[in-house]
Amino acid sequence: MFDQKGQIRIIESFLAIAVIFSAVLVSVTFPSSPDFSKQKSLSTMGTQALIKLDTNGTLGDLIIQRNWANMKTALDTLLPLGVSFNLTVFDEAGNAVNSEAIQNSNLLGREVVSVQYVCATRSQVVDFFAIRLQLAWTG
Amino acid sequence: MRRNQNSGQILLVAAFIMASLLLSAQLYVLEVGKTSGDMDADSLNDFMLSVKLGSRHAVAGSLANISTGGTNSILEFNLQEWGEFIGRQYLSGKNVLDFTLEETSPYSSGIYLSWGANGYGVSSASANFVHTLVGRETDVDTAYSVNVTTVLLIKSANRRLNETTRQINVTINVLNEALPALAKQITVYYQVSGTWLIPDDTNDYALLDYGNGTYIASFTATVPTPEVEVSVHATDFRGIYVQANTTSTEI
Repeated sequence: MFDQKGQIRIIESFLAIAVIFSAVLVSVTFPSSPDFSKQKSLSTMGTQALIKLDTNGTLGDLIIQRNWANMKTALDTLLPLGVSFNLTVFDEAGNAVNSEAIQNSNLLGREVVSVQYVCATRSQVVDFFAIRLQLAWTG
Repeated sequence: MRRNQNSGQILLVAAFIMASLLLSAQLYVLEVGKTSGDMDADSLNDFMLSVKLGSRHAVAGSLANISTGGTNSILEFNLQEWGEFIGRQYLSGKNVLDFTLEETSPYSSGIYLSWGANGYGVSSASANFVHTLVGRETDVDTAYSVNVTTVLLIKSANRRLNETTRQINVTINVLNEALPALAKQITVYYQVSGTWLIPDDTNDYALLDYGNGTYIASFTATVPTPEVEVSVHATDFRGIYVQANTTSTEI
């Protein structure tokens, strides 16, 4: 009887250890919170690049001309090395305008930051576009 | 003795409490991290800046249209559309872009076009905006004005080359918002017997571009009088058209 009690104590101790161990295990395997300082800097860089491109109306001009190659080149120049991007242009109805992908590499599997930007063209017929720029660090 | 018998259960309960504390602490850290990822002040400023830039482009585009023959109502129509478009973009709260067209003289419905005969031409559009963003953690009101103005200044002098021919020089200055700006296109006209003519190669026409918004057009023309009416039509790089007339006097 006494021995059985001892065995139960041991089992209870193991159970207690298992409970704490599984709690530690679960908390460790929780998805770690993203590094927001890195994401914020990416987001700022993306927006600043679009603002620079938009200041003199170039962004709107490139969209009107459907000049996606030059758009990619401009973003490649304005964004620092090591940043991957994927840009999508939407018209007023929310339809994607760019017929081809405007990106410098694939963002699959990376921690992506999305920047929303609104743009009006400076042309005689003023058009409005919403731009989604997705960014990620390559390294 | 009773206490001793229950020590195993106490151990288990303590383990459960510790485990739940551990997990809730981890959840709290995760939630705090999520909150810091919300749209912050910088993102809001960037969004409002993009709206401001777009407002300027919409005004400039409207002026480009109106200065080339479009109706003045285009400005109001475009800004209305722009405001509605902006209202659909910010999903975290209320986003309203209101505008009023400048009505202070010399503006009418936000537009001022004056292409006079005194060597001064102006195409201008002006509107005032109020951008309101109200969200869960946001309450921002920003008021700003947009004024898009293209000015053309011309001066002209001529000298007699022989009995009937004159060398005419026209100094042209293009300004955007009172700062020197480049022109996309410049066409010079001169008047002979009530007819406007465009000087070409047969007039030895040359346009010298100083690269700082100053241009000098020179040409020869058969003009019977020492005073020649000259007109310059220009389009700046924003597509805004402006013209100015002046009388070229003999030096």
